[in-house]
Order: sequence, then structure tokens, then C-alpha cells
Amino acid sequence: MAIDSTPPAPQPSALTSYLKSCALHGSHSPHYQNLALQILHNLQYQHDWTSLHIHIHSPLTQKLLLRPLISGLPPHRIYVHPDDQVEELKRGLDPTKGEPEREWVLPTYLAEKWSLRRFGKVFDAVGEEPPEEEREEEGKEEVSRDESEDGGAGGGPGGKKRRGGKRILLATLGDDSTVVYYIIHDGIVKPRQN
Amino acid sequence: MPASNGHTAPDLPFPVFQASSKVERYLLYDINTITWLRKNHNILGVLIGTLPQIPQQNVFLGLPLELQPEEARLLVEKGLAYTVNDLDWHTKDLASKNTTQVESIRADLHRDGIEVARELQKSKQKQTREALKRLRINSFSTVSSHSAASPDPQAQDDTPEETLFADLPTPESTQAQSVLEPKPWTVTPTISYPPLSAPPVPSSPALPKSTPSSYALFAHLHDKGYFMSPGIRFGCQFSVYPGDPLRFHSHFLAMSAEWDEEIDLLDLVGGEGWGRGLRRGG
Repeated sequence: MAIDSTPPAPQPSALTSYLKSCALHGSHSPHYQNLALQILHNLQYQHDWTSLHIHIHSPLTQKLLLRPLISGLPPHRIYVHPDDQVEELKRGLDPTKGEPEREWVLPTYLAEKWSLRRFGKVFDAVGEEPPEEEREEEGKEEVSRDESEDGGAGGGPGGKKRRGGKRILLATLGDDSTVVYYIIHDGIVKPRQN
Repeated sequence: MPASNGHTAPDLPFPVFQASSKVERYLLYDINTITWLRKNHNILGVLIGTLPQIPQQNVFLGLPLELQPEEARLLVEKGLAYTVNDLDWHTKDLASKNTTQVESIRADLHRDGIEVARELQKSKQKQTREALKRLRINSFSTVSSHSAASPDPQAQDDTPEETLFADLPTPESTQAQSVLEPKPWTVTPTISYPPLSAPPVPSSPALPKSTPSSYALFAHLHDKGYFMSPGIRFGCQFSVYPGDPLRFHSHFLAMSAEWDEEIDLLDLVGGEGWGRGLRRGG
């Protein structure tokens, strides 16, 4: 038996090489940063999101966030308030075909435990709409980093009011790299018509 | 029992009965109070009464109504109700009655029983009379069709009927029969005051105990005009309806948590699965 003919190590996965290619910063612990990067990777390549951006500081208070948050533009609208739905149906429009809105994404692990206070802190740190990004043309591999100087440009109290108030897309990463997404609202919002 | 439409308010505050001082279960027996609460205060409760013969019955339940601890607490906090220990009050109030009072309560029940039996007999007789009248008209019309000499194949069958009811009792003779006194029914009242005197209103009513977080959630949603029914069937604390559940589907399945209580994300994900199966918001 030839022992020296070990097969070459397999090529690292696309995700691994992506994570390696991204430089980490010192503000959040590395596992939070890698979690955010992995969710971003999933959004970008599996769900075709664009203008993805990782936020380290709150666009409202400029303080360090609990953990990095992602903002981005989905390919189609992910949430329609029932009142908007009714209005658009009355005007003969298809509510699912509307202009997509930029969303906040909160990266989490499935094994984590959260509390109402922590969800509240996340909601307090974000506006209704994530700030517009000017640096989205920097290339797909290079993730632009929010260094808080361009925060608060788009959303916040000055932006247009969204029905239902603040919402966050809760991205939960499982052990097998599947990600599930749930929309969470700040407060009581009546459900969608089915 | 008089028909109740929830228009008449009960005397406030009304008693909410606690089955025993050790068990936090609150019951309402008066249908007027129950409908009034449902109509004016969005309080649903759960009907838990079964037929005595079928204790395993689990649909179409009747009186009494069990209030959720949160509902009972809300009513007491709003000053609409006060809690009464059912057993203590009954024992005490019954013991304070003398023989003549007890006899008069019994006599009242007996009189009610006679009244019910009479009403029933009257309505039965009315039904009989109307049925007979209908039959007679039918047979007359058959006779007239006979005289028209139509070749009706059913005519043969109708003939015995005519002879059968040829000597029907006249309405007068039926009236005479009703003089016979029917056997009085046994009346089981759903409420015990009156005849018992209403339980005394305590100066500082005891608040029904409930988990602080679930009571806070209940009171908040109730304040916003929602109706809450127990959500145990759906794996949550409350199913939340935007109006009376008889008219609306529920909007939310609600779970409460303390501000710093740890929430397993898996529960959130799993709970959402429950809600989606029922097409409810989380």
C-alpha cells in the first residue's frame, strides 16, 4: 500500500473562501462577523439580493450595534401591509409586483436565546428604512463596510412612513447552513390577507 | 330562563365565583352577566358545563362559564367584579336561613316547576290541535278531489285516514282535558342568588393571581379592543381575535415573555410553523 499517495485536499467551498477573503474588524467578536457574512452570502447568491451592506454602527445613534446588521434590496417585495394590499388591488395592481423596499436583516444562530429586551434594542437602533448606499458599486466580492459616517441618510424619522412601522427580517442560521427568514415587526401589526 | 341579548347590565360589581380558595378557577353562572360581558367588555371565557349524563362531552358546552385568570383579574381591577369563595358563601348563607325561608325557597322552586310543566303542556296541546287541523284540511281536499272524480292512485290510501279521524275531538274537549294538572318539573336554577342574598362586596377585593407577563399581554391586547380566547389548542397562550370570534378569524397567536426572559429561537421558528398552518400572524 502506497501511503505517500494521499489525495490532494479538496478545494475550500465558495463560502469558506468568501469568508477568508473578507477582513474582520475589531468592533464585534469574529463569530458575529462571520455570521453576518454568511447570511449576506446566502442573501446575495441564493436569494438574489442586491446593495447588500453590513452595518456596525446604528444609523440613528451612531453607537456600536449589538451585533453587525445587514441591509439590502430584495429582488421583489418581501412584505405588503394588508391595507396597502387592499389599496393596490382596488387600483388594479398586483401587490406582489410592487417596487421592492430596502430591508434590515438581523443575523442569528438557531441555537441562540433571545429576549424581548434584546429585540427591543435592535429595533431602537434602526430606522424604518435602511440608509441609502452610495458605495454599492464597489464590487460583489468586496463587501462595503459601514463606518458610520454615511448613516442616517435614507430612513429614520425623516424618511417616508412605512405602514406597520419598523420591521426586521430575522435570519436564523441552522447547523446545516440553511437559513430561515422571518419578518418581525415592532409592535402589533395585523396579519396579511391570504 | 329569560332570553338574554346582553343589553341589560348586571348590578355592578357582580360576583365572580372561585370554586375553592386553593384553586384559581373563576366561574360565572348568570347568562345575563356572561352575554353582557361578551358584548360590552370583550370577555369570552370558556363554557364548561356538560350534560350530567355525558360528562365526556366536549362540544356544545353550556353554563357555567370559566373565566381565564387574566379575565377575572381584569374585571376585578376595573371594579366590575369581585371574587367570592363559592363554597364558603353558600354554606354561610344557607346556614343563616331559617326553616320558613328555606321552605319558601322550596315552594318557589315547586311553583316554577309547575309553571314549566304547564307551559310545556300548553304548547304540546297547541301542536296537536294544529296538526289535527292540518290533517282535516288535507282530508277535505282529498274528498273534493274525489268528487271531481280524478283518477288518483293515492285515493285508495286516503280513505282509511278519513274514517280514522272521523270523530275527532273538538277544540272544546281538548280544553277540558287541560284542566288536569301536569306533574311539576324539577327545576335546577343556574344561579343561586336570588333566592340567596347576594354575596357581600369586600372593601378590598382579592385580585385573582396570574402570571405577570401573561396578564400584561392580556391587558394590553384587551385595551386595544381585541378578544382573547385560550390558545392552548394552538400551542400558545392566547388566540387573539380582532372582534367577536363568532364573526372573525383570529389575527394572532400570542405568547408572553418577561422583558429579559430567554426565548429560544427554535420556539420562535416552531411557533411560526403552528401559526402558518392556521394562517395566523405570530
